[in-house]
Amino acid sequence: MELPIRLSKESREPIYHQIEEQIKALIAGGQLPAGTSLPSIRVLSKELEISVITTRRAYQNLEYQGFIRTTQGKGTFVAEIEASKKEEVTVSAVYHAIEKAVETALRHDYTLEQIEVVFQEIIASLKKKGGHNNDGKMD
Amino acid sequence: MMEKWIEINRLKKNVDDFQLGPIDLSFEAGTITAIVGNNGAGKSTLLKVLMRLAVQNDGEIKLFGQLIDSEEEGWKKRIAYLPQTLLGCDSFNGNQLRELVSKWYPTWDQPLFEQLVEMYQIPLSKKYGKLSQGVQQKLNLALTLARDAEILILDEPTAHMDIPSKQMLLDVIVEWMDRGDKLVIISSHQAEDIRKLADYVVVMKEGQLLGKFEKEELTGQYKQYWMEDSLPNEPIPGVIERKNERILVSKCAEETESYLAGKQLKWLRAKNLEIEEIITYMLIGKAS
Repeated sequence: MELPIRLSKESREPIYHQIEEQIKALIAGGQLPAGTSLPSIRVLSKELEISVITTRRAYQNLEYQGFIRTTQGKGTFVAEIEASKKEEVTVSAVYHAIEKAVETALRHDYTLEQIEVVFQEIIASLKKKGGHNNDGKMD
Repeated sequence: MMEKWIEINRLKKNVDDFQLGPIDLSFEAGTITAIVGNNGAGKSTLLKVLMRLAVQNDGEIKLFGQLIDSEEEGWKKRIAYLPQTLLGCDSFNGNQLRELVSKWYPTWDQPLFEQLVEMYQIPLSKKYGKLSQGVQQKLNLALTLARDAEILILDEPTAHMDIPSKQMLLDVIVEWMDRGDKLVIISSHQAEDIRKLADYVVVMKEGQLLGKFEKEELTGQYKQYWMEDSLPNEPIPGVIERKNERILVSKCAEETESYLAGKQLKWLRAKNLEIEEIITYMLIGKAS
């Protein structure tokens, strides 16, 4: 199957790490249930327009951390993972997203205090609207 | 590390007043390498020497760890080579060519051949000489891929093909790689081939090898920056072009960024260059 992965080539985050994190998020979010067959390293490399060296690195890390497993001759599949591990991925994704937002503000010479104000304002306006959208995604 | 299937050492070849090399280069199992360069850079000459269709003036070539010589030709069955033009085929039709070629290759894969003929709608009963260049290329490809050799060497396979045919070929090659231990070398002027297929890019210029690079080694390092303020007129590490006083292009993002950061110079935006822009810089030293 084709994976909804989008790489940001401009990002400082290495490509293999972006792939890793996005696949983890898809697994933790339930979009890729255990047993789902993943594209081969070569197929994913073509789709993402990167070398197999990079894709292999992402798959190896995911396998090492227990998110996927490779069966000789059969391919690569999503592994069974514990609920606590899924939770961990979700929490780290949220922290990561907010960290990135703060970094953007800092790059624009905002002080931490100013950022806090912006943050409070956004929260307040969401509360006024009666909460957030159902899937909680801003983007 | 992956096994080196092709090793080229200090290879030199003279053709009239053109000199290729000296070239040192190797290719590993499981990889796809694109060879790029200007017209006349020596790409086809290199592939021909590799296939023993021309003999080098100096240096050696090892295939699967063995030095190749003209006495023993067993290695030829392990390589499928698609030249730019196939001579002497004009009076044969596709069926006859298939019969000739398939006999030579113990690994001939008839279902794959049929699949390609079907996919590309190749008329097998028409004489080769009567086919358009694009269809000739498709037939050549079907005849080459179906050999199912371990090494596949393609010399500008898609030059005359229409867009859908090129796209289909990308998928065919990807599937073909997934059949097992395979190695592909493709000489191409198509940016798409490099973006979607290549793990490594070999860049050649005027008979010389400029280098073999992992694709992300290039796409990660060549960047263009839009600066907030005009830049001082001093040399900046890594920078290969200044388009004006606020736009610069670097071939080594790390060096350039650490220099800029050290001088408190900020950029508004940075963009990674596309592989074709990078190759243009390497070949002519300037953006097109």
